[in-house]
Amino acid sequence: MIKSVEEYLALLKNELAGSDPAIVQDALSDSEEHLRIALENAAEANPGVPEAEALQPIIEKYGSPNEVAAAFMEIEARVPAGLARPARKRRRSAMSRFFGVVADPRAWGALLYMLFSLATGIIYFTWAVTGASLSAGFLILIIGLPFFGLFLLSVRGIAFVEGRIVEALLGVRMPRRSLFAKQDLGWWGRFKSLVSEKHTWMALAYMVVQLPLGIVYFVLAVTPLVVSLGLIVQPILQIFFHLPVAQIDDVQYYTPGVLMPLVTIGGLLLLVLYMHLVKSIGRLHGALAKAMLVTD
Amino acid sequence: MNDTNNADRKFQRELHSGTASLVLLSVLGNANEPMYGYQIAKQIEADRQRISIMKQGAFYPVLRSLENSGLLESRVEPSVSGPPRRYYRITYAGHQTLARWKEIWGQTKDFVDTVLQGVTNDQER
Repeated sequence: MIKSVEEYLALLKNELAGSDPAIVQDALSDSEEHLRIALENAAEANPGVPEAEALQPIIEKYGSPNEVAAAFMEIEARVPAGLARPARKRRRSAMSRFFGVVADPRAWGALLYMLFSLATGIIYFTWAVTGASLSAGFLILIIGLPFFGLFLLSVRGIAFVEGRIVEALLGVRMPRRSLFAKQDLGWWGRFKSLVSEKHTWMALAYMVVQLPLGIVYFVLAVTPLVVSLGLIVQPILQIFFHLPVAQIDDVQYYTPGVLMPLVTIGGLLLLVLYMHLVKSIGRLHGALAKAMLVTD
Repeated sequence: MNDTNNADRKFQRELHSGTASLVLLSVLGNANEPMYGYQIAKQIEADRQRISIMKQGAFYPVLRSLENSGLLESRVEPSVSGPPRRYYRITYAGHQTLARWKEIWGQTKDFVDTVLQGVTNDQER
């Protein structure tokens, strides 16, 4: 019995072993799309049914990994590869790759996340440090353990919410359902699993790390943006408002007229480079969040 | 027993390989807006009021191959609550092909039905 979408995809990948990697990728992404949407709909229709159970009728209708793999391979065998499969990914020129980032929603999402992360970083850090020290202080009192448990529970909740933010803004797949599925544990069992699971402590560490990261991200998000916008509008500022490009002691430096277009172009280039930087920071942070907030 | 089963399955697969294209093309031909795979599967299920004889998983490679032949076009859209969805829409060439295929299907169906009826009539006699 297949218990999760991941397991299904792993089996499907096995069945397709040796096929064209593009087919494997297509089959996996189509199947993941279908199964996840179907699961979501099933969860809406009757909530409370565990994923493993809800998955059975869906797979029954969708087809077993074996059947789906056969369907994909058969179609592929029938369609003459050279004719019907024009270059999978349209080759984009270096220019459009470089400037295309400006229209990339992922880059803008990452920018938003970087601006946001200072605020969330402060909140997470404060919450983690306050909670941890209060818990340590309370441990000798009767409310010590319940307080500690509630604190760890809140850490897990925050980790889940942060995962949702990361997925929305950085496009990294994060858990969509909170953990804690076992209902029959009782209070003490829950507490023990909360304390003993690596996930809780990784989430707590993530909350602490998020403050320095948030500061760095915020600075990296704001400084180059301001510099490049400043360069872009510099000619206007100089011509209409007589603002110098720089002032050292009493000496004011102005851009010579011929160089003005270059300054603006330089600003635009800097802005594009900056969007690339933002996008890759977003990717890195997505990987970090995935490593720290997702249980294996 | 197993052999008949296999033969049945092979026959069914061969039939489906052509009809699936027609079915999917016509679902998208009737749709007013782009649809993603799960939506299409749901719609086919709803229309038939019973479990489809075709596995839904078999629709996806057909959709891709129709797209490769230029009868459909697709775009991927991120979704707030789930994985990104691939929306398919029928092209102009797709509409034309659909009209021709419907005609071919009608002829084939008539032909097969007449022959099958002839067979049963012969048996009854």
